[in-house]
Amino acid sequence: MAMNGLARLLRLAAGAALVLTLSAPASAVPLPEIPEAKGEHCVEDPAVMRKKHMDYLKHQRDETMHQGIRTTKYSLKQCLECHAPVKESGQAVAQEESGHFCKNCHVYAGVKIDCFECHATRPEGNANFHPMVTPGGVSLNKARDDSGALLNRVAAAHSEQAGANQ
Amino acid sequence: MSEQKQPDQSRRDFLTKGATAAAGLSIAPGVLLFGAVNARPADQAVTDQVRWGMLVDTNKCANGCDACVTACKKENGWGEQSGDESHSNELQKSQWIRKVELRHKQTGFAHSLPMMCQHCEHPPCADVCPTGASFKRADGIVLVDKHICIGCRFCMMACPYKARSFVHEELTHQRPNAPRGKGTVEACTMCVGRVDAGLRPACVESCPSQAILFGDLKDPNSEISKTVAKYASTAIRPDLGLNPGVRYQGI
Repeated sequence: MAMNGLARLLRLAAGAALVLTLSAPASAVPLPEIPEAKGEHCVEDPAVMRKKHMDYLKHQRDETMHQGIRTTKYSLKQCLECHAPVKESGQAVAQEESGHFCKNCHVYAGVKIDCFECHATRPEGNANFHPMVTPGGVSLNKARDDSGALLNRVAAAHSEQAGANQ
Repeated sequence: MSEQKQPDQSRRDFLTKGATAAAGLSIAPGVLLFGAVNARPADQAVTDQVRWGMLVDTNKCANGCDACVTACKKENGWGEQSGDESHSNELQKSQWIRKVELRHKQTGFAHSLPMMCQHCEHPPCADVCPTGASFKRADGIVLVDKHICIGCRFCMMACPYKARSFVHEELTHQRPNAPRGKGTVEACTMCVGRVDAGLRPACVESCPSQAILFGDLKDPNSEISKTVAKYASTAIRPDLGLNPGVRYQGI
């Protein structure tokens, strides 16, 4: 009986120690992952941008909306041009995907971001205009390994279209 | 909006004249030929020296053709192409431009016209807006500032042209040039971003029969001013005295 009680106590102690090790990392919340941006430097010093980007954006927003001033320096579109990392598909990362510059930091800071309830969360990449990196082109490139399959698909598409036209 | 900050006009005039001398191709005294509408520099505010307008020739507008509607959807990301608003019914979904079919009761003559925001000189939507979100830009384009729109929809009730829509659902994948979102009212913007870049609105560009003429109603030398001076045209419901920027021929 006494042995049993001791064993139970030991098991409890071991469990408690395990829980403590698991729940006590050095820093409380991991720092946000900041994706690499295009270009050499931001439109202002990063320290200034961190503190004031919302003021710049708001000022620009009113000027653009009401006076049609469309300079790009402080525009949201321009932020995303440089800060939205481009995926392998040639498209930039959208807000709902992981790795969005604005979202990553705002989630960490616990500040709700309203911009993207209306605004596009990524630029419509110029890469999409290039025939070789359009979504269609990308799928073709992937199919290149097996050129027979590619030919079959092209043939199938043609016959399908011919059938539809008749 | 007349007390808006205006740029130094003398400097603009100087620049315009300089550009005219340097780049303008003179085909006759006082007549200059430019490739497109001159784009305003990006850092300069719009002025009331310009009033953008459209003239729709309903004789050219083909029955059953909706190229302008399709082009507007594509340019501004609304309609079935956006894949959003799946819970809204047809009356609730956004509609920036629509085709209206007309039929004369006595003669049976049928024709059609595109209907969108008429960009009134005295917009009733802006009159009733409690927050100032509905406004007319100095160059005559009537817009909704969605940053301050509270979605009360007074403007929708005030508009005699049924030109405005309310977004009932959360949207995703908006076009970068046309932000749209739940809880705000929206309407034709005359493709304001394109106009600011010196381009013509998407509906004008897309019309297969060139039924829509776009230009500056205040410039006596613009094609639209010359056409409205030469041929009869009318606003829809001219009795309301709103002086719309969109005029129609043949109705």
